[in-house]
Amino acid sequence: METATYQRFPKVKIRELKDDYVKFELKQTDASMANALRRVMIAEVPTIAIDLVEIEVNSSVLNDEFIAHRLGLIPLTSERAMSMRFSRDCDACDGDGQCEFCSVEFHLRAKCIGDQTLDVTSKDLYSSDHTVVPVDFSDSGAGFENAEDQRGITIVKLRKGQELRLRAIARKGIGKDHAKWSPAATVTFMYEPEIHINEEMMETLSLEEKTSVVESSPTKVFALNPHTQQVEVVDPEAYTYDDEVLKKVEAMGKPGLIEIYAKEDSFIFTVESTGAIKASQLVINAIDVLKQKLDAVRLLEDTVEADDQFGELGAHMRGG
Amino acid sequence: MTPSLPKLVKVGPPEFLHVLLDGRVIGAMPTDRIEKTVSHLRTLKLSAASMIPEDLEVGYVPISMGGAFPGLYLFTNPARFVRPVRQKFAPPKENNNIELIGPFEQVYMEIECPDGGSGGRLKEFPATHEEIHPTGILSVVGNLTPWSDHNQSPRNMYQCQMAKQTMGFSSQGINCRADQKLYHLQTPQTPIVRTATYEKYRIDESPLGTNAIVAVLAYSGQVYDMEDAMVLNKSSVDRGFAHGHIYQTEVIDLADEKLKSDRANKVFRRSTHDKLSHSFIDSDGLPYVGQRIKPGEPYFSTYNEASGVAFNKKLKGSEPVTVDYVAVDVKNKKQLTKANIRLRYGRNPVIGDKFSSRHGQKGVCSQLWPDVDMPFSGVTGMRPDLIINPHAFPSRMTIAMLLESIAAKGGALHGKFVDATPFSSSVKKSDEHEGDPLVNELGSMLTARGFNYHGNEVLYSGVYGTELTCEIFIGPVYYQRLRHMVSDKFQVRATGTVDQVTRQPIKGRKKGGGIRFGEMERDSLLAHGAAYLLHDRLHSSSDHHIADVCSICGSILTTTLIQHQKKVMREIANLPPGRVPKKVKCVACKTSKGMETVDMPYVFRYLAAELAAMNIQVKLQLSNGAAA
Repeated sequence: METATYQRFPKVKIRELKDDYVKFELKQTDASMANALRRVMIAEVPTIAIDLVEIEVNSSVLNDEFIAHRLGLIPLTSERAMSMRFSRDCDACDGDGQCEFCSVEFHLRAKCIGDQTLDVTSKDLYSSDHTVVPVDFSDSGAGFENAEDQRGITIVKLRKGQELRLRAIARKGIGKDHAKWSPAATVTFMYEPEIHINEEMMETLSLEEKTSVVESSPTKVFALNPHTQQVEVVDPEAYTYDDEVLKKVEAMGKPGLIEIYAKEDSFIFTVESTGAIKASQLVINAIDVLKQKLDAVRLLEDTVEADDQFGELGAHMRGG
Repeated sequence: MTPSLPKLVKVGPPEFLHVLLDGRVIGAMPTDRIEKTVSHLRTLKLSAASMIPEDLEVGYVPISMGGAFPGLYLFTNPARFVRPVRQKFAPPKENNNIELIGPFEQVYMEIECPDGGSGGRLKEFPATHEEIHPTGILSVVGNLTPWSDHNQSPRNMYQCQMAKQTMGFSSQGINCRADQKLYHLQTPQTPIVRTATYEKYRIDESPLGTNAIVAVLAYSGQVYDMEDAMVLNKSSVDRGFAHGHIYQTEVIDLADEKLKSDRANKVFRRSTHDKLSHSFIDSDGLPYVGQRIKPGEPYFSTYNEASGVAFNKKLKGSEPVTVDYVAVDVKNKKQLTKANIRLRYGRNPVIGDKFSSRHGQKGVCSQLWPDVDMPFSGVTGMRPDLIINPHAFPSRMTIAMLLESIAAKGGALHGKFVDATPFSSSVKKSDEHEGDPLVNELGSMLTARGFNYHGNEVLYSGVYGTELTCEIFIGPVYYQRLRHMVSDKFQVRATGTVDQVTRQPIKGRKKGGGIRFGEMERDSLLAHGAAYLLHDRLHSSSDHHIADVCSICGSILTTTLIQHQKKVMREIANLPPGRVPKKVKCVACKTSKGMETVDMPYVFRYLAAELAAMNIQVKLQLSNGAAA
């Protein structure tokens, strides 16, 4: 029996690309795919983060757990993460941090000698692997012109005589286990809006009414053309589906003057990375992870385990 | 008939009133001039040049029918309560018109609230003084609630109660303190929406909460947000939201212990023989600072100098602790007998922990949900830290919480703190913002940044990626972590220690006891006809006991086990020794005949024994089943 195929070929169009920011369109697919991609980007793309901390000396004002927690949240450059092993799956070691396949060792030694407060920052962390280091925000441009701000992420501040000495082991992990492994600061998508203005009806409006329509939207979606005195759509994507304009039009007694639909198969993604991996890489890795997950389902499809794991769903997948 | 009372002459009001200074009569003053004097005294109180102290209490008790004894009572002595009010009759050219008044005089003064109204005052008694601000009626804690004038009043009272239960940043010098128990919030923030008092009392130095992004929606399928439960974002918690500690200091004075028991000298010392404890206890007998100790592990060691016995004190409780600090009393330089050990318990948010906004809206965390499952905004990608149910609002009418959410969102977008001092709109000069309500001010802050006027946003389901059917009210609200945490309260028992006398399970959380299944609970099971469950709870799982009863004399106390001779059973080769049948005998009847076993609660045996002590014999008549 030949089943109808619903296979589609989604298209991606990149709008904007920076190291820590991507904006792209995802077309010819549906919300389930778009959301799966979003969820994987946030929770399942692996990165490297400090997971074990061995404190030798800590005479700072913050307690050991606090410092360990702060260390964990420092983003580390994780280009290698996809090819690394999870330390729980690593055969080469027993997770003690001496293993090149699953862990990276860091050292931190800081002592305040002078009368000035010493800021211990992510720059003071020494990595055993030059590919895995704390993310450097100084060359990413925006906002960090000040030389003092380029000192990295503050871990703790020390006064005279206080000391911090520790060894930390970074491991591969995913955001599902702990948010520190999440490579995404923000991943969001919106449906592409389609805005129709009924020009005939619009003609019946006075200039004052037109201005009020334009101003009813909190975001700049519409504008009044100064030459033609026409209401025009300047930025459909600024529309937040807040229905403010539709409510306004309704209140004016002109329903149907403006109609807005969401395109069901077109999404605009905004991805911001923490700096652990490049935003573009984050998208690509997410697709890889999603593929692996689907492969796992496909392999299981006609095995006995599938029945255990999926129950009725397994039978359904086999076409039952 | 002569009247019983002598004829009295009606006396008019006195022409002179006494003047007292600090309780001593210093003279009298004509009644008609006294009010002028009082007014003049008050003017003099304000001027620096006069010799009159600024905190002089001018207690003028006017002549009245049945009131307090009239007179002019002046007080100058130190350590009296005073409070500032604004003098209305002071010449306007002077800036300083703040008068300090005391509790005695204020009862007889006309003090007005500066809300623009007269407060129901009659024209004949115009106000001479004015409160500095209407918030003067509120306490320090009450003053911290933003826009408390928009809340139903009981909610403000609840908040005042709860503000005292918050886990805050109680001290800047925690490392130097030795409080018995101290709750500490690791990641506090300053509120975006705050009252004028917040800055006045410098609450920023000991903040008591976190700005959480709160979404008001029923999202968890009506399960995890029922009855004031709330869903926390697990990733927010991972990143440090509402993390905290409990510091507990234990004072150990071995000299004190000596008095109680033996006269022997006890000192802190580590045993040289017990090498196992060396990983927990330092050479001085005290724990290592920074050491993590699990329950049952030793954390300090003492040595009895007389008996030569070393003793390791083991950690009680059910959770691991960290040794935060150890302080030693070195008054006795030769030997160490007194020490403070400060322990630290981690208290990061878990299911069952209590949180509250500043509007008496408390709730319990019911789930820690992954970030990806939370609803998100399509525009900003924002996911809430916290989801609360909309049912929390209609009946409680905490409008200020909604205002706070809108204001904090506006404040966050503009990078400003928002002033939320209550009653400020009534103090405003009417010509400034005529009729412009607070909401308009806040709403326009949002629209200026392209957000919805009412604080609503279009959210998408984190699970399905589809738009939620209605717009969601979302914004930052200052949330407090309250010090009632499950880790300190949970009680669970399967089997455990029983009472010595009754053999019933003991009570008390600390001792690992159970929760009493009392008479009312028993009645409930009876009413349900749940006989088996009743039997299980009250008998099998409690003090079930099999007693030997002598059916001849009916006694349970006279039966005794016979110790039988070891040679009786002959060992059969290659077989394990068979179980020796129990032999019981009645001491009273001097026979083993007629012995029966009966199931009963152990307390019954105890009752029989107690009664026997009072010369009352308990006799059991045994029968088999229905044949009674």
